[in-house]
Amino acid sequence: MTDLGPATVAPPRGRAGWRSMLPRWSPKLGVGLGLIAVIALFGLLGPLFVGDPVTIRDLGLTPPGGEHPLGTTLTGQDVLAQLAHSTRGSLHIGLLVGVLATLLSALFGIVGGYVGGVVDEAFSLFSNVMLVIPGLPLVIVVSAFVPADQRGSWTVAVVLAITGWAASARVLRAQTLSLRTRDYVAAARVAGEKPWRVIAVEVLPNLLPLLASQFVFSVVYAILSEAGLSFLGLGASNSSTLGTMLYYAQNGFALQREAWWWFVPPGLVIALFGCGLALVNFSIDEIINPGLRDIPRRPRAEAVREPAPAARTDDDVVLTVDRLSVVYQVDTPVHAVKDVSLTLRRGEILGLAGESGCGKTTLAYAVDRLHRPPAEITGGSVTFHDRDGEDVDVLALRPEELRAFRWSKLSVVFQGAMNALNPVITVRAQLEDVLITHRPGMSRAARRARCEEVLRLVGVDPRRLGSFPHELSGGMRQRVVIAMALLLDPQVMIMDEPTTALDVVVQRGILREIMRLRDEIGFAVLFITHDLPLLLELADRIAVMKDGEIVEHGPAEQVHREPRHPYTRRLLDSFPSLTGERGAFVRSGEPAPSGGAR
Amino acid sequence: MRYYARKFGFYLVALWAALTLNFFVPRLMPGNPVDVLMAKLAQRGGTVDPAARRAYELLLGADTSEPLFRQYLSYLGNMARGDLGVSVSAFPAPVSQVIADSLPWTLVLVGLATLLSFLLGVVLGAFVGWRRGTWLDGLVPATTVLAAVPYFWLALILVALLASGLGWFPLMGGYDVVLDPGWNADFIGSAAYHGTLPALTIVISSVGGWLLGMRNMMVSTTAEDYVLTAKAKGLKDSRVMIRYAARNAVLPSVAGFAISLGFVVAGSIITEQVFSYPGIGSKLLQAVQNNDYALMQGIFLVITVAVLGANLVVDLLYAVIDPRTRAGG
Amino acid sequence: MTTLEARRLVKDFPVRVGLRRVKLRAVDDVSFTLVPGRTVALVGESGSGKSTIARMIARLEKPSGGDIALTAPDGSRVPDRHYRDHVQMVFQDPFASLNPFHTVEHHLARPLKLHGRAAGREETWRQVLRLLERVSLPARDVVHRRPHELSGGQRQRVAIARALAPGAKVVVADEPVSMLDVSIRLGVLNLLARLQREEGLAVLYITHDLATARHFSDDVLVLYKGRVVERGPADDVILNPRHPYTKLLAAAAPNPDARGRALDVDPAEVERAGAAAAYDHTTGRWEDVRTAG
Repeated sequence: MTDLGPATVAPPRGRAGWRSMLPRWSPKLGVGLGLIAVIALFGLLGPLFVGDPVTIRDLGLTPPGGEHPLGTTLTGQDVLAQLAHSTRGSLHIGLLVGVLATLLSALFGIVGGYVGGVVDEAFSLFSNVMLVIPGLPLVIVVSAFVPADQRGSWTVAVVLAITGWAASARVLRAQTLSLRTRDYVAAARVAGEKPWRVIAVEVLPNLLPLLASQFVFSVVYAILSEAGLSFLGLGASNSSTLGTMLYYAQNGFALQREAWWWFVPPGLVIALFGCGLALVNFSIDEIINPGLRDIPRRPRAEAVREPAPAARTDDDVVLTVDRLSVVYQVDTPVHAVKDVSLTLRRGEILGLAGESGCGKTTLAYAVDRLHRPPAEITGGSVTFHDRDGEDVDVLALRPEELRAFRWSKLSVVFQGAMNALNPVITVRAQLEDVLITHRPGMSRAARRARCEEVLRLVGVDPRRLGSFPHELSGGMRQRVVIAMALLLDPQVMIMDEPTTALDVVVQRGILREIMRLRDEIGFAVLFITHDLPLLLELADRIAVMKDGEIVEHGPAEQVHREPRHPYTRRLLDSFPSLTGERGAFVRSGEPAPSGGAR
Repeated sequence: MRYYARKFGFYLVALWAALTLNFFVPRLMPGNPVDVLMAKLAQRGGTVDPAARRAYELLLGADTSEPLFRQYLSYLGNMARGDLGVSVSAFPAPVSQVIADSLPWTLVLVGLATLLSFLLGVVLGAFVGWRRGTWLDGLVPATTVLAAVPYFWLALILVALLASGLGWFPLMGGYDVVLDPGWNADFIGSAAYHGTLPALTIVISSVGGWLLGMRNMMVSTTAEDYVLTAKAKGLKDSRVMIRYAARNAVLPSVAGFAISLGFVVAGSIITEQVFSYPGIGSKLLQAVQNNDYALMQGIFLVITVAVLGANLVVDLLYAVIDPRTRAGG
Repeated sequence: MTTLEARRLVKDFPVRVGLRRVKLRAVDDVSFTLVPGRTVALVGESGSGKSTIARMIARLEKPSGGDIALTAPDGSRVPDRHYRDHVQMVFQDPFASLNPFHTVEHHLARPLKLHGRAAGREETWRQVLRLLERVSLPARDVVHRRPHELSGGQRQRVAIARALAPGAKVVVADEPVSMLDVSIRLGVLNLLARLQREEGLAVLYITHDLATARHFSDDVLVLYKGRVVERGPADDVILNPRHPYTKLLAAAAPNPDARGRALDVDPAEVERAGAAAAYDHTTGRWEDVRTAG
């Protein structure tokens, strides 16, 4: 063992972790933080520098300028001084309510969600009831019952917090329920952590962005509600806020007297502060859901190029991919597909094998031009050789031509069969959609007959047409997706991990179905998977992909028996054979007898 | 069926909770509202007969020897009969009459404005989310300013600019007072004309929230496999956007309607006040200013029932647009 | 030596059907023994109850029936409060089983402290580094990282180190490599095998993959609808399956050596055979599950 004396014990770097919880810098965040900082400083320090806000002077409604940068009120009070004190008052209430409401929502949302059972049901019912009872009318009623002299800022804050926590509690509960089932929570329990520690150390930190966003939300809610209450004369009696300022402005007929400098600034401060918080919330939302991050502006349209279809090398070829390159145009561009060339023959199954991140899915999408920004095709060509003799340069198709090309010549069965069907419309609607778009002249009866026919082809009862996707089992859904791909009798079908999420017996059934249909109908299949043994059994030819390049390409038998590239050999060795040798797997300590070759 | 039973059950519980809250709030607060009320009533020349006093006591609580639970049952009985007491500020009209007169104004104004704002927000949000990565992204931060503006402030600014300044709209009121309310073109036209500015206020202040929620869901939905499949199917762009992406993205907006509805209702109460609109919000504030506790509580209950009803309708609608709710528990 | 004996485990889950609550039996009368240095594989498809068994052994679920007895090396039964010193689990998805908020150090230091394996900061630090070296990770390089800064294989190694931290002698590995890229799967399995040899671990290997089950374990139990339908030494069960369900599984698994073969088991036959009887390769007999010990 290495000697690890105290001198070598490095103190852990604590800061680094929190950094991952901080929002990414963006102009929005900058503007938001700037607004908040300016207004908060104004509220905090402003009252120290401005004069007494209540001093009455004999110069009512002076327009801004000179001694009074923001003019004066009806009674000659300095508006700037009032604004500074009022901002402080509003911020005070906002913070108070923000803290109280967040505590309440955390209690009901997180504790309820984590504990579960009866506690959760009771908490959740309570928050839902509080949620649907309209808050402000309740606040108005409660405030009206409290005599004005007993209505301090604490009373108002408590009432606002009580009526404003429920929405956050619901959000937090949903997230806690989802975190509770995470494996790391289970792992902490297996490690022997106590429940309170699991909540505090394992669950809570991952809720921080959400808590922060809910806190910000409560602060905005509180400042707006308090302003409303004060405007109605129901606010706290012992504090002046932006709301009370507006109340006096309104009662002094500020707008009717065109004293905009009295009326506009308080509202503007509220709006800008709320806007600043909302902008910060955007950035917090982007931590919670990274998909919301800004993406670079799309180029207006990809440059239309002149069709230059690759020549047919022989009549048997249906798809030629020639030196295709796809690049993800991010800060440091990623070359996901590098100069890939492939040919797909009519009626053959070409297997494309590779591990996650090797570019196989990007390649498949690019063939049908389904790639999304920031992915961009930077070179090469894709040519479809139609049965009727036409050669189509897929990359040069205009949008309308591309739309007509898709599915009628080339259909795609996507990874994750579970999500390829729209959950809220019926199977029939999703099948008929294709026919309505591509075969506008087809009669209703004919459409229906065709849908039933394809379902029968894949072994699904046509009565299932009326079902919604969630009413079907995983295997059945994947069959429906394949049926959908058959609708227009395409010449090429791209299948991206079509059976990965399925159990092995179901998977086998679907693979047999694919092979049978291929034999009967004669479409060509580009079959993408990480499961090399499956391809060896299924495919006619196999291409192995690594880091965006095809490293080996040949008939399945040959790839199986005489793999040339070391990566192919490594992949083959990674799958211990069911009935044969165990490959590179070492159980007892001694290496496998015959290296990798089997 | 289970879904419906659960929803109805939930709203019954919520209604009961609101009634109970209404019963206990005055009892928990300092002061003796019944005395204040009776004094006011006497001032207005109302006869303070024992029956009226008892009704107020049930509503507001008083130091009677009657056990709380009996009071509570009698109170629930009164509520079930629709007996909300007599309004002090509009004496001798019963509270139910005052509410019945003002409720339609609010229902139409807030109902239409909310619906309009929801539809506008959802449609714009769907579009902005779908066209992500274009100049439309710039709209998103802009909406937050609108959402953070206090309703009443915006209303007053709009009044100053569009009504006082340009004279395009009337300053206040629900209709031209020279007209008699009735179902004739003149009156309805006048009501619509008077309602435009308040409605505009509500729409401008609330549309940002819907827009943002829909846009964010649209962004998530666009990344789903079924949208990609729909594109690969060669469907028209508009069809993919509406039938596949927006159709799914709108679900959380509908489900979250309850949360936002509360805010809209709150904002519109104050908006009504600004416009002296003859709706229920103005009446609530009038009641507050006159210590008309009976009217205040009656209005609170009616607003609550209306919000609960709207939420129930939305929940039932949700079951129609999301088939998955009908299947499971 | 620490051994774990699961006796006639049963697990029922309440499910709502309409307005009634009914019980769904996820695990039905499953017994096995884990002894040091040996690996038992539980093979089955999703819904077969294999993960529920793993969670019961890890005490994440309470069995509805039967019991789990842990015997210490001195032959005495391990009391409940020390159970987790001895039994630990490696989860399926290393992307989910490590808390994204915490560093690798936290994940290893906590169990060390909880189970009294290290006291004081320096001692804990040394132990953390030692554990990382045990699982062949560059200790100083990864110790301060967070899960998202590690590759899938590295994460699973950290998860294995965490399971070893309390000094566990019984390890439940629930599909430990199914979420990993194929080329690193064997590396992780080889690591588990090495640790098992060096520390004399008893391992319960949960998987749906017959091939790794055969090569990685000594004994195989095939689960179907919550029941064991076939059990015995790994090669016997996989190469000479007797129950129609095991045959079906073997026939359905990809096998490049048998290209173009037909699926010679009719799924209907499996339905007929059901899960009423189990074939035991050690006794060479069919046994009714209900009467077997």
